[in-house]
Amino acid sequence: MTTLLQFKNVSKQYGNSTVALSDVNFSVNEGELVSIIGPSGAGKSTLLRCINRLIDATSGEIIFDGADMLKINKKHDLRALRTKIGMIFQNYNLVERLSVFENVLHGRLGYKSALVGALGLYNENEKKQAIKIIQSLGLNEQVYKRCDQLSGGQKQRVGIARALVQEPRVLLADEPIASLDPNSSKVIMDHLKNICTTLGITVLVNLHQLDVALNYSDRIIGISGGRVVYDGLPANLTDEDIRRIYGSDPEALNLIIQKPKEVAQKI
Amino acid sequence: MAMTKTAGPVLTNGGVPPFQEGRIKIRVLSKANIAIRLTMLILAVLTIVGFATFNYQGVHLLKGLMSTLANFKTIFFQPQFAHFTLLEAIYQLFITLSLGVLTTLIGAIIALFLGMLAAENLSNKTVSNSIKGFVAVIRAVPTVLWVLIFAVSAGLGSVAAVIGMSFHSISYLTKAYSESFEELNQGTIEALEGCGASWWQIVCQAVLPSSLTSLISWTFIRFEINFGVSVAMGAAAGAGGIGYDMFMDSAFYYNLHEMGVITYLILIVAMLLEFMSIKIKNKVRA
Ligand SMILES: Nc1ncnc2c1ncn2[C@@H]1O[C@H](COP(=O)(O)OP(=O)(O)O)[C@@H](O)[C@H]1O
Ligand SMILES: [Mg+2]
Repeated sequence: MTTLLQFKNVSKQYGNSTVALSDVNFSVNEGELVSIIGPSGAGKSTLLRCINRLIDATSGEIIFDGADMLKINKKHDLRALRTKIGMIFQNYNLVERLSVFENVLHGRLGYKSALVGALGLYNENEKKQAIKIIQSLGLNEQVYKRCDQLSGGQKQRVGIARALVQEPRVLLADEPIASLDPNSSKVIMDHLKNICTTLGITVLVNLHQLDVALNYSDRIIGISGGRVVYDGLPANLTDEDIRRIYGSDPEALNLIIQKPKEVAQKI
Repeated sequence: MAMTKTAGPVLTNGGVPPFQEGRIKIRVLSKANIAIRLTMLILAVLTIVGFATFNYQGVHLLKGLMSTLANFKTIFFQPQFAHFTLLEAIYQLFITLSLGVLTTLIGAIIALFLGMLAAENLSNKTVSNSIKGFVAVIRAVPTVLWVLIFAVSAGLGSVAAVIGMSFHSISYLTKAYSESFEELNQGTIEALEGCGASWWQIVCQAVLPSSLTSLISWTFIRFEINFGVSVAMGAAAGAGGIGYDMFMDSAFYYNLHEMGVITYLILIVAMLLEFMSIKIKNKVRA
């Protein structure tokens, strides 16, 4: 198995006082589905955004596909690398007034010259590919609908489609199901798992829900206060580890009462 | 606390004190409410004091009022051409409209770029704040004053009017546009950056499509303003157009009948503009 992504002593400080990540080390293999869990404010979103440089880490190395992301200075090189990294968000972050099709095609912008992309000119191949992906996510009937007419679950699938037309090596998901009902959540998580196993795309997903993480991940990274406090298989996660990750977060304590493995079996 | 027993079911609203006897207030007095009331009161007092202390210079208030009403009657009920024909009037009206279109267009084009630089989500804080501050200062001075200021170097006339009106339009539209741009949430911009999209691609593919309706609405509102200002500029700055004819009718020929014609013409145009703006807004929104 080859390593696709590696964090080496990565730290991130906002301003002078807020330390969001401190000395983070881990690596992710190609084709893995890794969940990053931790309480609110632990630094999960910051960690994901450091990978595609939406946020610049303060120090350390982030090796993605053999290149150190932090050493890339030229805008052009950064855009090229970002095309290899898809991302989806809790709030979907679509252009609500545009159609599903237009939003999905936005995933191709990184491959285009500034002018061609600005004019929204896509070739037939790209459109064909986009339609195929839209269909695979079960959005056939919504292709020309405006995104503000979709349900949350549908919007998130558009987000996934936009990321997939990038033909990414890795998909970053920042709390993708935090705004969804249980049924839609399951659909989205199943899609993510499917993308990982059938397309071989590595998936890194921030989750607030321990039960979902236990059920879907190949590996779990637990962070608390900006530090990695657990890195291992879901099966090896003990109550002790959970307590270390969540501290006294009341929401998580509900889950600690039940044994994690029992929780996992329930889904 | 004494509670009166009622026959019907009693509403219990856990912990919140029950309504007092008497009338139930719909609104709670907020700071803004108090400020509005205070302003109204002060204005009312000033009006009364003003009327009581005016220097009327022998003009009797009632007589003055009566002759003003008589003038209105002439204007509105007996409109009649005297110095020009309908075709000429329409031509002059066209000139006035052109002045409005031209200044709005110049303002819109420049404001589009300034607005992008002034929008916090597309620019950085320093640039955004300095542009916003700069246009706020320009906006604080009325359009007519800008025209007169430019008239110092360009001379009173259409050139000063175009420059002055464009100047104010730029600042007005920059503020309006930048606020429209800022309505697109930061997350969407972040998502497209994450796809590898460039700044111009984000502007054209996300920001402009999202804000198109408001951009058009604001531009049209400014056009309506500029049409009104153009009429005034014809009179005050000699910029030509229907306003100049109106000025001549009122100040030189003292022909209220013809003023009536002009007033109606302007009214028709204003109503057409209003009608068009509603149409455009509906079309863009659909
Ligand atoms: N843009 C920012 N400026 C300053 N502090 C921030 C910013 N973004 C996040 N933080 C802080 O960094 C810490 C980690 O935040 P975040 O990565 O969003 O955590 P999570 O996603 O796990 O909830 C929090 O303490 C948060 O307040
Ligand atoms: Mg977060």
